[in-house]
Amino acid sequence: MTDMHPIQVTELSKQFPRKKRLGSVHAVSDISFNVKHGEIVGFIGHNGAGKTTTIKCILGLLKPSEGSISLWGKAPADSRVRKRLGYVPENPDYDNSFTPMEYMNMFASMRGLAGTQNDWKKLLGRVGLARWETTGIKQFSKGMKQRMSLAIALQSNPDLLVLDEPTGGLDPIARKEFREIILEENARGASVFLSSHILSDVETICHRAVILAGGRLVAENSMEKLLGEENLYRITVISRKDGKEVEEVIPEADLQTRIDSLRRDNIRIVRVEAAIKSLEEVFLTATGGGESQ
Amino acid sequence: MKSIVTVCLSAVALVFFTGCRTDYDIEEVAPAEFLESSGGGEHVHEEFAAAEDSSTVDEHMEESHAGHVHDAGARNHGTQWFFNQPWAAPFIWGKLLRDAVIFLLLAVAVFVVSGRRKRK
Amino acid sequence: MKAVYTFSLMTLHMLFRRRTLWGILLVILLALAGIASVPSFDVSNQGRFILDFGLFGIELGSLLLALGLAANLYPRDKETRTLMPLVAVPLSRWQYLLGRFFGAAIVQAAALLVTCLGLMLILLFHKLPVPGDLLPATLLIIVEGWFLLSTVFFFSFFASPPLNWPLTTMLFIVSQMSVSEFTGLLPSAPGLMRVLRMILPHADVFHIKDPIAHGFSIEPVYFLIAVFYGLCYSAFMLSLALAVFRGRDLK
Repeated sequence: MTDMHPIQVTELSKQFPRKKRLGSVHAVSDISFNVKHGEIVGFIGHNGAGKTTTIKCILGLLKPSEGSISLWGKAPADSRVRKRLGYVPENPDYDNSFTPMEYMNMFASMRGLAGTQNDWKKLLGRVGLARWETTGIKQFSKGMKQRMSLAIALQSNPDLLVLDEPTGGLDPIARKEFREIILEENARGASVFLSSHILSDVETICHRAVILAGGRLVAENSMEKLLGEENLYRITVISRKDGKEVEEVIPEADLQTRIDSLRRDNIRIVRVEAAIKSLEEVFLTATGGGESQ
Repeated sequence: MKSIVTVCLSAVALVFFTGCRTDYDIEEVAPAEFLESSGGGEHVHEEFAAAEDSSTVDEHMEESHAGHVHDAGARNHGTQWFFNQPWAAPFIWGKLLRDAVIFLLLAVAVFVVSGRRKRK
Repeated sequence: MKAVYTFSLMTLHMLFRRRTLWGILLVILLALAGIASVPSFDVSNQGRFILDFGLFGIELGSLLLALGLAANLYPRDKETRTLMPLVAVPLSRWQYLLGRFFGAAIVQAAALLVTCLGLMLILLFHKLPVPGDLLPATLLIIVEGWFLLSTVFFFSFFASPPLNWPLTTMLFIVSQMSVSEFTGLLPSAPGLMRVLRMILPHADVFHIKDPIAHGFSIEPVYFLIAVFYGLCYSAFMLSLALAVFRGRDLK
């Protein structure tokens, strides 16, 4: 049943031709992963790692050079598949001569949705645009356009949300609201594929992460496994040699024994705390310090 | 590559279909007896010559529509000759209809072929 | 088809809110007024002159409108990234193309009808008769305008707007040429030129300004056939445009 995953990417490669004699740029090389039903999957990588290229291939905006992509077992161009999708593009933009409410009405009509003006009003309120329904988009900031983009994506109660850097232009409060909406949508049953630079967002809400570096997949696992299943503790002591603080990370099972041994040796323990590995550390390790290609 | 082949085949089919005739050129489409009577494709204004001394060019244009023939392909009066040659109008309508149908079929073919390629 | 209909309306609203349309319309109407103010030999000639050059002005207006309205639509959508949310989810590429085309076609037709009305008013102002075929003649020019619009869309998928203008204008000029004139452009390859001329459109079938100016009667069936030809050719150009668009990667 792997074919029926909301997203199944198999051995995807995408090359862009360059000018004569310069060959081609390998934006993405041989990557495979999936997004299962009800999952929130984070898609992380440095600038130019191939995240947006992969997302555009998933949406049928780019044709894969090699490999295949299926959404619930069907081609991305299939109209039945597209009806189940919600998409928030990176740096979304809309025609300035319209208002958010006009856009909501037009997108609803194009998608054949049965919602009313009131429904769209509520939805715009949900993403924080309650007072801006009839204001021209030309007055909107980048963050407001992102909110509008999310409202449009949520119009159809999609089964799959594809979010490309959705919180890039948002302030911390708006980012928190965005995360809450994503979690609510996931609780409703939607699968979410979230590409983001903001690793704390991915760490907070994602079940799984796919890490890209230089167009290649370098790590893919559940968040627990990436961050380490084993509970680790960090012990900080004062060194006898120079009197400076020294840190040591040990597994929970060895903690008591180590503390006893330090006390026996009359070494001063400054603090003992849970050593939590951050996604940033995992990311830097997996991508070789974040160096591009 | 496939699309180039499709376009080439369509072009070749079109060429054969129309027999590579110029079709819309009055010299080629006019019946022989008409060309003979009007002086073999020369720019002839028969009645204008007759009425030279008594009427203006405009009167000639309004009153004498028959026998107004231009050089082959020289349609410096736009489509006027469609309307002043009784035999030409239905002939041209046939050509227009034929071309319209060919282009419509080609449009459908290109739409279907490009759609299939996209799905693949 | 509801998606195409909605997107056409969206395009229509967008184009009406842009200054380009009003600017071009003003230029055409001023040109018509200019034609009418040229002194002529006598009254009967003046009517003919106004009709002849007026319809020619409207025809050039259809070219200007096609280019002004559509040459920048797709490149602008792509550059401002308004294209992505549209073709990623609610619209297929053919729906995007048809929606944009129909929206622009309606705006263009409305603008050309306004210019036809302007020409009628000019004739009435000069106390000259308004021929009954003036409106059908304008309708033929509208169909020609749609063909030009589809050509502009075709070029816009692989040429920038500054390149689209000369390319479309060139096709417009070539499509008016007779076989002899066209073959004369490259006398060394008459066969090739004949075949090319056959594939290229015969836009002169849309011009009945001379017959109208000279008072010829035009059978209604001619209008029907010419309109059918124009629509079929436009469909062909749109299908070519779609084939190019479908093959494009939207980076």
